[in-house]
Amino acid sequence: MRGLHRVKMRVNGRDYELEVPGHERLLDTLRYRLGFTGVKEGCGRGECGTCIVLVNGEPRNSCLTLTARLDGAEVTTIEGIAPPGKLHAIQVAFIETAGVQCGFCTPGFIMVAKALLDRNIDPSEEEIRNWLTSVLCRCGSYHLYIDAVKKASEYLKKGVVFIDERDVREKLHLRVVG
Amino acid sequence: MILIRDKRIKPPKYLVDILRFRDQLSYVRLENGYVKIGALATPWDLSQSILHRDERFAGFRDVWSKFGTMSLRFMATIGGNIATATDFSDYLVLLHVYNASVRLRGVNGERVVPLEKLILERRKPDLKPGEIITEVLFPEPPVGASSAFEKFDRRSILVAGLANSASYIQLEGKRIIDVRISLDTTGLNRIPGRLRELEDYLKGREFSAELIEKAVEEVIPRSVAKYSDWWASGEYRLEMTKVSVKRSLLKACKRLGVV
Ligand SMILES: Cc1cc2nc3c(=O)[nH]c(=O)nc-3n(C[C@H](O)[C@H](O)[C@H](O)COP(=O)(O)OP(=O)(O)OC[C@H]3O[C@@H](n4cnc5c(N)ncnc54)[C@H](O)[C@@H]3O)c2cc1C
Ligand code: FES
Ligand code: FES
Repeated sequence: MRGLHRVKMRVNGRDYELEVPGHERLLDTLRYRLGFTGVKEGCGRGECGTCIVLVNGEPRNSCLTLTARLDGAEVTTIEGIAPPGKLHAIQVAFIETAGVQCGFCTPGFIMVAKALLDRNIDPSEEEIRNWLTSVLCRCGSYHLYIDAVKKASEYLKKGVVFIDERDVREKLHLRVVG
Repeated sequence: MILIRDKRIKPPKYLVDILRFRDQLSYVRLENGYVKIGALATPWDLSQSILHRDERFAGFRDVWSKFGTMSLRFMATIGGNIATATDFSDYLVLLHVYNASVRLRGVNGERVVPLEKLILERRKPDLKPGEIITEVLFPEPPVGASSAFEKFDRRSILVAGLANSASYIQLEGKRIIDVRISLDTTGLNRIPGRLRELEDYLKGREFSAELIEKAVEEVIPRSVAKYSDWWASGEYRLEMTKVSVKRSLLKACKRLGVV
């Protein structure tokens, strides 16, 4: 596992050329090399799903993925699902349903929801439950996450994909403190 | 990766990335009377194939619905599931009832090995240095056959299973023409295996729920041994194995419309 591997990957729409050791996990590349700290490490062993990102459109536990094998891959993290100043409909739906407590698991849920809705814009409750098995929430508002995915599906069916962050703040009377 | 991290195995000197062949080795094909699955097919790939649409393969849907979590179903491969070679390899348990073999390829050529001969010990498949599994294959089952897989644990998902079983059954009317049953482990070696004594008991008889009940209660206690650990006692595992086998047999029969 010695020696460095050259990896070209596109992360959140930007191209990177990296040299990484063979044992480096995608989770560490994203968090510590590239600064995408929306990718969380809960368990480091495939169980909690807080580290899930999209690799070539598929959900992947980045704690179980070696970066060295991702040459040519396209990676999306929570930071890359909407352009600057905008929120993705799924993010807005999660904010509006207010299920989030500590928020540690939320990026994982949103990435899994995106993988699902990219494949099926109108999933059944059973499908939503099935896909959301990918992530554990210790604060435990699962039923609200199911509602959030349903709500996101409604937005997307109406063609609403990105929403201005300012509009969301105004609508929900959210203030940025500090 | 997890075993290395937990210091349960030594880090390898070299790591070969076989996922580069994913495009070539993630197929599911019906060919010359055989079902052939590329070793790098993931549960997701299987879910998009005939294996999830045809009742003859219904057990594949059962394994899918109990396999890890959704995101892991995009990552795990069927070849890796077999090579892991433990009582927790769910596809391995199911593939036993399809009389599956694996195609191995290495620098010295190719060989086809039946699953029952492949697993030498827990975590020890008979793979020579430089050899990998490239394909899983099994005879295409006849119409009138179906299968089921049962996984039992304290939760329904993200569990290894305390008593897992698979059944394959072919009926003519109510007569059992063919039946194959496998367990996560039949003994203390903790590798999946077939329950031939129970199969022989059932073969040729008329199916009924009472027959299944009687056969399982009679045969399993004398032909199966289960280990104890801090999750569950051997006695509990054995008791739940009986339940698991009854359920998987009944589920397969229900799929054939006789329950
Ligand atoms: C959180 C979690 C939940 C899980 N849940 C389940 C579950 O419900 N059911 C279940 O059955 N398993 C489960 N697993 C185990 C694992 O995901 C599966 O066994 C999976 O199929 C392994 O495939 P892989 O491609 O990831 O193999 P890897 O883990 O990459 O490899 C395992 C071993 O097999 C070897 N290997 C892999 N492919 C080949 C090949 N083609 N030829 C030769 N050798 C090969 C590797 O060198 C390695 O030694 C779970 C794992 C985790 C982390
Ligand atoms: S950190 Fe990857 S699954 Fe928990
Ligand atoms: S909101 Fe706290 S872990 Fe999910």
